[in-house]
Amino acid sequence: MNQTTSIYNRRMKMADLVASDMSLLSILHRLDIALGFGEATVAEVCAQHNISADLFLMICNIYSFRDYSPQIETLTDDDIRSITTYLRASHRFYSTICFPTLHNNIHKMVKELDDVSRRLIDKFYDDYDNEVTSHFQYEEEVVFPYIEDLLSKGQNGNSEYRISLFEHNHGNVNEKLNDLSNIIIKYLNKDYASQLRFEILGEIHYISNDLMKHSNIENKLLVPLVEKIEKRYE
Amino acid sequence: MNKEGKYKVILIEPSEIIATGIAAIINGNPKFCVAQTLNEPSYYNSNDTDVDIVIINPTVVDYNDRLDIRSWLGVGNTALVALTHSNYEESVLRQYDECIGIYDNAARIVQKLKNAIDENNKNPKNDLNELSSREKDILAAVAMGKTNKEIADEFNISIYTVISHRRNISQKLGINSIPGLTVYAIMNKLVDISDFS
Repeated sequence: MNQTTSIYNRRMKMADLVASDMSLLSILHRLDIALGFGEATVAEVCAQHNISADLFLMICNIYSFRDYSPQIETLTDDDIRSITTYLRASHRFYSTICFPTLHNNIHKMVKELDDVSRRLIDKFYDDYDNEVTSHFQYEEEVVFPYIEDLLSKGQNGNSEYRISLFEHNHGNVNEKLNDLSNIIIKYLNKDYASQLRFEILGEIHYISNDLMKHSNIENKLLVPLVEKIEKRYE
Repeated sequence: MNKEGKYKVILIEPSEIIATGIAAIINGNPKFCVAQTLNEPSYYNSNDTDVDIVIINPTVVDYNDRLDIRSWLGVGNTALVALTHSNYEESVLRQYDECIGIYDNAARIVQKLKNAIDENNKNPKNDLNELSSREKDILAAVAMGKTNKEIADEFNISIYTVISHRRNISQKLGINSIPGLTVYAIMNKLVDISDFS
């Protein structure tokens, strides 16, 4: 998928865009774009919310089309700031809504299991949770401040950090979620918590899919853009 | 089977003279064709599912792996034929559907390939989805946190073989991370939870 074949454009109605792929709703949520946009176009809604329509459409394309690769040349420094704002909001969404709900349900599910399985799955999930949390923390405490410094001070400062050091470890994060989902599908005794298990699997599916898009936004937009700025000051 | 309805054969044999000879005999028969000749098993791609017969010289595989050749190669339910230059223990040959000797004539070789297909259809050796006992042992070691090197030393196999087992295990279970494999191993009593502090 490239830009010329993309079905999304700035003149289409925002409502039509969302209706064509409901997973785009989570983008609106993270950008604080309230619903109820009537017949307003993508360009109009983006202007009201101070976000570039080009960037918004790129994020939507990354969400909807796996092989899409954005043309980053048109993006500005302000767009980079919008991307980090978006990513922070995305972290908040995972850590205040998705993960607590999943954790809660897993905790309910394991209550019905035998002692050994309960401890195992609880520990597996807790380790996973810690791993993701510390990954988010690393981005918010190291990566994003580095980018903000780079943009505002116009230099790399004294920091030895470079965006190329940024670890793309969301892949591993999804590996564990995927394992957990297979354990629940294949290996937990079929007598336990069957209704809840369906719910949990739906949640895992949603989160791992969304995490993948999240990391695509980092890999396809953020990292190449920051590399461009780094070159400017070398 | 390939497009012309011939049984597709993969031949793994290090001697070029013997490989060329056997391939010529097999290709001379209208029912079979040698799709690929490999001189070592690491080039074998177990994901190629339309292969009907794998013919392999057991010497190309380390001694310990010969006893679990199917899961080691990842051949699943493909017919497996040994190509032997010398004698082997019965426990090694038992895992094959047929055994071709280098002194067999052309007619006999073709007959044995047909037997192998029949034998394999009648009696699929190894359910693709179940872990072999070797794989269970390796999985237990992985769950205990042992490294590939430690596992290779313990079982007296190469690191390459350990990696190949681990790949097959993860493929069968759909579990890739070490913590995930550990959960599986304990729930299925391959290791005891009291082994973990």
